[in-house]
Amino acid sequence: MPPVGVDEWAARVEERREQRAGLVGQALAAWDRVAPVWRLVLFAALVASVPFLTDSDFIIRVGVNTLLLAMLALGLNIVVGWAGLLDLGYIAFYGFGAYTYALLASDQIDVHLASWLAIVCVVVACAVLGFLLGLPSRRLIGDYLAIVTLFFGQVFVEVVTNLDRVTLPGKDEPVDITGGPNGIAGVDPIQLFGIEFLTPTDYFYLSLVVLVILIAGLYLIDNSRTGRAWRAIREDPLAAGLMTMPVKRLKLMAFAFGAAVAGLAGAIFAALQIGVFPRNFETPFLILIYAAVILGGAGSIKGMLAGAAVVGISFELLREPDEASWIFYGGVLLALVLTVRPWRLLAGVLAGVVALGLALHAVVGGLWPDAVAGSPRADWAFSSAIDNWLLFPEDPKTIGNWAFVALVVGVVWLSQAGRRARLLALVPLVYLAAFVWENRLMLDPSVTRQLMLGALLIVVMILRPAGLFGAKRIEVA
Amino acid sequence: MDFFVQQLVNGLTLGSVYALLALGYTIVYGILKLLNFAQGEVYMMGAFMGYFTLVALGGAASPAVPVAFVLVLMFLVAGLSAGVLGVAIERFAYRPLRDAPRIAPLITALGMSFFLQSTALLLFSADVRNMDTSELISPSTGIHVGPLDISLVRILVIVSAALLMVALARFVAQTKLGKAMRAVAYDREAAEMMGIDVDRTIVAAFFIGSVLAGGAGVMVGLVFDRVWHLMGFTAGLKAFTAAVVGGIGNIPGAMLGGLLIGLAEAFTAGYISTTFQNLIVFGLLIVVMLVRPTGLLGSPAIEKV
Amino acid sequence: MEPLLELAGVRKSFGGLEVIGELDLTVAEREIVSLIGPNGAGKTTVFNLITGVYGPDEGSIRLDGRNLVGLPPHRVTTMGIARTFQTLRLFLNMSVQENVTAATYGSTHARVWQSVLRTPRARREEREVRELADEVFGFFGERMAGYRRDQPAYSLSYANRRRLELARALATRPRLLLLDEPAAGMNPHETAEVTELIGRLRDERGLTILVIEHDMHVVEGISDRVVALDHGIKVAEGSFDHCAGAPAVVEAYLGRVEDAA
Repeated sequence: MPPVGVDEWAARVEERREQRAGLVGQALAAWDRVAPVWRLVLFAALVASVPFLTDSDFIIRVGVNTLLLAMLALGLNIVVGWAGLLDLGYIAFYGFGAYTYALLASDQIDVHLASWLAIVCVVVACAVLGFLLGLPSRRLIGDYLAIVTLFFGQVFVEVVTNLDRVTLPGKDEPVDITGGPNGIAGVDPIQLFGIEFLTPTDYFYLSLVVLVILIAGLYLIDNSRTGRAWRAIREDPLAAGLMTMPVKRLKLMAFAFGAAVAGLAGAIFAALQIGVFPRNFETPFLILIYAAVILGGAGSIKGMLAGAAVVGISFELLREPDEASWIFYGGVLLALVLTVRPWRLLAGVLAGVVALGLALHAVVGGLWPDAVAGSPRADWAFSSAIDNWLLFPEDPKTIGNWAFVALVVGVVWLSQAGRRARLLALVPLVYLAAFVWENRLMLDPSVTRQLMLGALLIVVMILRPAGLFGAKRIEVA
Repeated sequence: MDFFVQQLVNGLTLGSVYALLALGYTIVYGILKLLNFAQGEVYMMGAFMGYFTLVALGGAASPAVPVAFVLVLMFLVAGLSAGVLGVAIERFAYRPLRDAPRIAPLITALGMSFFLQSTALLLFSADVRNMDTSELISPSTGIHVGPLDISLVRILVIVSAALLMVALARFVAQTKLGKAMRAVAYDREAAEMMGIDVDRTIVAAFFIGSVLAGGAGVMVGLVFDRVWHLMGFTAGLKAFTAAVVGGIGNIPGAMLGGLLIGLAEAFTAGYISTTFQNLIVFGLLIVVMLVRPTGLLGSPAIEKV
Repeated sequence: MEPLLELAGVRKSFGGLEVIGELDLTVAEREIVSLIGPNGAGKTTVFNLITGVYGPDEGSIRLDGRNLVGLPPHRVTTMGIARTFQTLRLFLNMSVQENVTAATYGSTHARVWQSVLRTPRARREEREVRELADEVFGFFGERMAGYRRDQPAYSLSYANRRRLELARALATRPRLLLLDEPAAGMNPHETAEVTELIGRLRDERGLTILVIEHDMHVVEGISDRVVALDHGIKVAEGSFDHCAGAPAVVEAYLGRVEDAA
C-alpha cells in the first residue's frame, strides 16, 4: 500500500529503518554519506587489490568475467532499468561488438586496425545497430518489443554461424566472413598507450579501468536531463511525452547507448579470449546478464554492480566441482534463514534435516547396501560428512532423475501449501534437494548451472521483484 | 509444379502446427496480457511424452497395440501431461505476479522457459529422439494423385489441427467457459464483479493452450521425426511471431498468422535455402510490426488517457 | 484580438462512435474558460486532441495562429501548452524534485556529452533548472516549502500529489494551461484553495487556463466563460449564470422529464 497521507512521517521511514538496523544499517548509512567520487575510488581500489592478494589464475579469470558482466549489466540497465524497454536480444550487441572487433583486428579479412581505432569503430557500429533495432520499437508496446528483440538475438547467432560461405559479386569463391560455427580465432590483443594487454591480469585491469569510467559516465548521465527523461519514460511514457520529453528519440538513444556499452564489452571480450565463437552469445548468457540486472534491482548503478558480483562469482564457482557445493548449500541455507523465523524454528528444521539424513542412511543402508555404495562426486570441504549423511545409490542417474522430478513437484506443492504443512514438508524436501544435488546435478555441472539460473530468475521475480539490492517501487499497472 | 505443391503441403503442415501453438499464446495473452514464453517448452515436453508413450508401447517398429491406438494414446498422454504442466506453471509462477508490473511476469516466463529447457536437457540429455514414423505408418499410405504426394501423417496433422481450431473457435464463441474467457480478456475486474470465477477461467485458458501445445509437439515429432530439448525455443519464437502477425489476442489471427509463417518458412526453405528460414520469418515480423503494429487482424488498442 | 487557442470544426470518432462532433472553441489570452458537461461528453478528449495525443479526423487546432495538428505531444508542450490529468500521472518512483526538473527537458538543450563532462553550459542550465523548480514550488507557498524534495512522489498525500502535478506542468513554462478536474476528490477547504490558486495563476503568471471541472462552485468562482459539452457537441456557451440555467445544460446533466400523456 503506497503510504498516502502523512507525508512528513512517511518520508522519514527510511531514516528510522536505518537507525534501527544495527551495524549493517549503520554501515550502509555511513557509505551513503560518502561523496560519490570517493565511493568510486574506494570501490576501484578494493577491486584493483585483488590481483595482488592472490596468485590463482582462476580467481583472476573469475574477476575479469565478472567485470565484463558488470559492464553488460550497466549497459542493459540503461535500456531496461532506466528507459523501461524490454530488450531480450541484448546479447546480440555484445556479439556484434565482439565480432566486429575480431574482424577489424585479425587475419579473418586481413585487417589489423590499431586497437583504439578498432574499439571506436566497434562502439559506433554498435550504437548504430542499437539505433536501427530501436526504430521498429518506437511504436511497439513492451510485449511486442520483447518478441522482436528476442528474435533478433536468435537471428544474430544464426546469421553469424552461416556467414562462412558468402558469395560476393566479383569473387569466384565464397568468402568466409565470420568463420561459421568455428568462429574467428587469432584476434589481436589490445594495445593502448603503448601497453600491450596479453595476460588475464592485464585484461583485469583494463576492464576495471573501463568499468570505472563507465560508472562515472553513467552516474553523470543519470543525474542530468537525459537520465531524468529516461526514468520518466519508464514511469509513464505518455505523461513524459506531455511534459516536453521526446519519447521516441529518447528510446532510440537508450537503445544506442546500451548497445554501445555492450559492444565495448564485446571488444574487450574478443581480445581477452583471443577469438569469438557463436556459442558465446547464445541464450544462456543473455539469461546470465538478466539475472545480474534483476537481482540488482533494475535501475540503480550500485545495484547492477552488486547483482553482477553475486551472479558472476556464483556462476564461476559453479564451474568448479570442488567449490560448486558452497553455492548450493549456501544458497539453501540462505533461503531457509530468510524464510524460516524465529531462530528456534530454523534450528529445528536444520536439526530435523540432519537427523533424517543420518537415520535414513543407517536404516536404508543397513537394508540395501547398494543404496549407500556410491560417494560424493567432488572433493568439497564437507564431502566426507555428506557421504555418511546422504544416500548414494550405485547408479545415480535414473534415481536422480526421478528424484529431481519429485523435488520440482514438491517445491511447487510447497508454494501452494498452508503454513503448517509447509514447515513439516520442508525437512524431507531439503534432504531431497541435497540428494538430487549430490547424485544428479553434480553429474552434469553445465546443465546444473543453467537450471539454477532459470530458477533464480523465477524465484527472485516471485519473491522480490525489486531484486535483492533494488529499491521498492510503486507501479501502476 | 510438383515441387511447388510439395512446399505448399510442407507449409500447410508446418503452419498448422504453428497455428496450434500460436492459439495457445494468443489465448493466454488475451486473458492475462502475458507472453507465456514457457509455452514452447510445454510443446517440447508434450513431444517427449508422446515419444515415451510410443517407446512404452513397444516402439514404432513393433507396437503392442494397433497403430490407431498408439496414435490416440500418444496424443492423450502428451496433451494431458502438457496441460498439467501448463496449469502448474500458472499456479506457481504467474499467479503471484498477476498484479505486478508487466516486466515481472515476462522475466519469470523467460526464466521458466530456460529452466524447462535445462530440465529437459538434464533428464533426457541432448540426444535427438526419433519417432521412426515411417515404421509406424508407411510413407506410401496417403494421397498420391498427380502432383499431390502427401503422406497420411501430414494429412492427419493438417486435418486434426484444422478440427481443433474450429472446435476451439466454437468453444470460445458458444460455451459458457468460452464466454467467460472473452469477458476476462476484456476486463478482468468487471468479469469478477459479474460473478465469473476468474482464477478458474485463467486455469482453463492455460490448460487449453497447453493441451494444444502438447498435441502440436507430438505432431511435429511424427512429421519431422525429431524430438529434442531445444525444439521448443525456436518453434515458440515462430509461433509467437505468428500470433503477433495475426494480431495477438485474436483467435482467427493466430490461425492466419500460423499458416502464413509456415508457408513462408516452407517456401523459403524450398526455393532459397534452409539457412535463411528464420531470417525471412524475422523479416516478416518486422514488416508487419512497422506497417500494422497491432497485427493483420488485430484491432488498434484504444488507451483511455 | 487573435485568440490564443482556436479549435475550428474539430471532429473525432473512435471506431464508429463520434466522440467530438463539429466543435468550435476559442480561448483568448489570459482568459479562464471552464469546460463542463456530464461524464463521457468528450471533455478529456478535447484535451487529448489539443495536446496531440490523438489527431482530429477533421478540423484545425491552432495556438497563436500556429497549427498544432500532427505535432507529437512533446512539440505541442514545448510550444507552450501544459496539462494535468484527471487521474494523476505523476512519476511516482522519482523524487518530488525530479518530477518537476524532468519536465524542463524541453527548455534545456545540453547534449549528453555536455552533461557528462559538466561543461559550463550544462552546469548553467542545471542551475537554471533548479532555480525554476524553486520558483515553481514557491508558488504554492507554505504547502510545498520545506518539503524534503528528495522523497519519492508516491509518499505524498493526495492533495500534495495534485499540487506536484500542477508544479510539474508549470515547470514546462506554458502559456496555456489545461487543468483536468483539478478539484476532484477535495474537501470544501481544499476546493476553495484550488479556486484561489487558479485565479493567481492567471493574475500573477499571466497564464491562459482551460479547466474541466464538475464542481460548480469552482466553475462559478473562476470562470470568465463557460462552455458546456454533451455527447461531443457544444450545447451552451457564455457566462456561468447563462450556462447554469440553459435548458440544454440542465438536460445534459439531469435528463429530461417526459410529460405525462
